[in-house]
Amino acid sequence: MSDPVSTLRVEGLTVRAESLELVREVSFTIAPGERVGLIGESGSGKSLTALSLMGLLPEAVTASGTARLGDRDLVGVPENRVKDLRGRDVSMVFQEPMTALNPLMRVGAQVAEVMTLHGTPRHEARERAVAMLERVRLPEPGQVARAYPHQLSGGQRQRVMLAIALANGPGLLICDEPTTALDVTVQKQMLELIAEVAPALLFITHDLAVVASVCERVLVMYGGRVVESGPIREVFTRPRHRYTEGLLAASKLTPRGTRLPTVQGSVPSAGQFPDGCVFRNRCPHATPTCETAPALTGDGHAFACWHPAD
Amino acid sequence: MTLYLLKRLAVLLASTAVAAVVVFAFMALLPGDPAEIALGVNATPEAVAALRQQFGTDRPPVAQFLDWSGGLLQGDFGTSYVTSSPIGPQIGDRLGVTAVLVLGGMAVALAVAVPLGTYAAVRHRDPLGAAISAVSQVGIAIPAFLAGILLVFVFAVQAQVLPSGGYVPFAEDPGEWLRGLLLPWASLGLVQGAVLTRYVRSAVLDVMREDYLRTARAKGRGSTGALWRHGLRNASVPVVTVLGLQLATLLIGAVVVERVFVIPGLGDLLLNGVAGRDLLLVQGVVMVLVAAVLVINFVVDVAYHLLDPRLR
Repeated sequence: MSDPVSTLRVEGLTVRAESLELVREVSFTIAPGERVGLIGESGSGKSLTALSLMGLLPEAVTASGTARLGDRDLVGVPENRVKDLRGRDVSMVFQEPMTALNPLMRVGAQVAEVMTLHGTPRHEARERAVAMLERVRLPEPGQVARAYPHQLSGGQRQRVMLAIALANGPGLLICDEPTTALDVTVQKQMLELIAEVAPALLFITHDLAVVASVCERVLVMYGGRVVESGPIREVFTRPRHRYTEGLLAASKLTPRGTRLPTVQGSVPSAGQFPDGCVFRNRCPHATPTCETAPALTGDGHAFACWHPAD
Repeated sequence: MTLYLLKRLAVLLASTAVAAVVVFAFMALLPGDPAEIALGVNATPEAVAALRQQFGTDRPPVAQFLDWSGGLLQGDFGTSYVTSSPIGPQIGDRLGVTAVLVLGGMAVALAVAVPLGTYAAVRHRDPLGAAISAVSQVGIAIPAFLAGILLVFVFAVQAQVLPSGGYVPFAEDPGEWLRGLLLPWASLGLVQGAVLTRYVRSAVLDVMREDYLRTARAKGRGSTGALWRHGLRNASVPVVTVLGLQLATLLIGAVVVERVFVIPGLGDLLLNGVAGRDLLLVQGVVMVLVAAVLVINFVVDVAYHLLDPRLR
C-alpha cells in the first residue's frame, strides 16, 4: 500500500525519440483525489506523457525531466526499480479491453497476479481478486474470476482491467481512452465507476464531453506541449488559447444547415511543428510575434498564447 | 471437453478404418501373386493353386479384407508369405525402435528451436538474432539424410568419437544404445529444429506485439518476465500445429535415416519387405505408418484444446 497523501508532481517532462522531441517541458501536478483530464488530438503527445509516467515507453524512446509521486521518482529510474512501482504505486487502464487480457488465463488469476507480484501471498491474492471484481461492480464476481476473457463482454473486460489497476491501492490511476472502444450505453457506467474509485486520476481522451463529466481540471496538449490548463468550467466556458477555442468550437452542436466549424489544417507529423508557438501555422490569429515560443503563464487557469481569446 | 474428446476419437477411428480400406485396396491392385512369387517361375499351375488356397488369396477381396482387418483389431498382421513368420511381432519390435528415433529427433528439434527461436525474436534487432534467423534458413534447405552423412563424416570418420551406424538394444548396453542413436537423432532433429526455429521466432515476435504483454508489464513485470509468464504459452499454440506436421515428416524422414545408420526400425523393415516382395509385410508396415500419422494429428488436436480455452 502506498502513502495515501501522495501528490504527483511532473516537472519539465520531455520525451525524445532519438533527435525528435515528442513531448516538451510538460509540467503539472495532481493532488490526491483530484481528477485531471488530458486532451488533445492524436499525435499531441498525451499517450506518451502517460506511458512515460508508467515507465512503459517503447524501445528507443526516452523521457527526461522529473515526475514524483509522493517521494518516489517515476522518470529516469532504471527499469528494474521502476517496475516495482508499476501496478503498485501507479496503474494504467488502456484503450482496448478486447486484447489487453491474456486469452489463455482465467480472469481471477490475472487479477491475483498483480497482487502476488507485489508480495501478497497467493491464497490471499485469490480471495482479494474476487473482492476486487465485486468492487468494480461485476455481477457474480466468483463466476467471473473463473471465466476466460473471451467469455466476457468489452465492458466487463474493461472492469477487469480496472480491478487489476486498483488491486494494490495505487496513488495514481492513469486511464488512456478507457471508454473509446465501448458501446455508448456502457461508457457512462464505466466513467461513473472510474470517477468514483480513482485515488487520483489522469484521464486521457479526445472526447471533450467525457472530460467534462469526469474531471475537475484539464490539460490541453498540442504538439507535445501543454498549451492551456485550468479548472474544467473555466477552460471550457472561457478558453484562452486559440487551439482550445478551435477544439471547443469544433465539438459544439451546430444548427442544421450551417457549416461544421473545424480547426483548419491538420496536425503536423512529429518533428514538423513550427518553431515558436507550435500552433501558429494553423492559427487564424498568428502574427510574427508567435515565432517566439509563448510561456505557459497564469495562476490556476494558465495558457501559452500571445494573442489569447477574451 | 469430454464430448469433444469422444467426437475426435470417433473421427480417429473412422479415418483409420478408411485408411485400412485404402491401404488394402492399393496393395490388392498391385500386380503380382504371392503364390507365384513364392514358388518361382518353374511351379506347376496345380502347386500355385494349392498354395493360393493355403494363403487364402483365392477368396474374394472383400473376404480377404475382412480377414486382414479383423486380424488387425486383435494385433494380428497375418503371416508372411515369404518367410512364413508372423508379421505382428516384427512390426512391434521395429515400431519401438522407430518411435525412439522419431521422439528423440523431435526432442533435439525442440531443444534447438525453442531457445534459439525465442532468442532470435527477443533480440531480432541484434546481429546474433539476425544470424540465428539466417542460419536456420540454411538448415531448412538441407535434407535429413544429407545431414546424416555429414554428421557421420565429421563424428564417425574424422573424429571417430561415435559409431557410424548400427543399433545396440537398450537392454544389452544402455551406453552403446545411446551412442548409436546420437547421430541419427541429431540428423533428424537439427534439420527439423532449423525449420521449427523459424516458426518459434515468428510466433514469439507476434506475441511480443500483443497488448496483454504491455498489461503484464503495467502490472510490474519486466519485459522478460512478461514474455515468460504470458507470452510463451500463447506462442506455443501455432508452434504445436507445426510440431504435429513435423512429427509426420520425421516419421517419413526416419525411413531414410534408418537406412543411412543401419538401424532396424520400421523404415528398414519396409524397405526389406519391398525388396523381398513380401506384400503382406509391406501392407502391415504402411498401415502402421498411416495410423501413426493419424494418431499424431489426434494428439495435436487435443493438445490445442488443452492449450486454448477459446476452442473449448
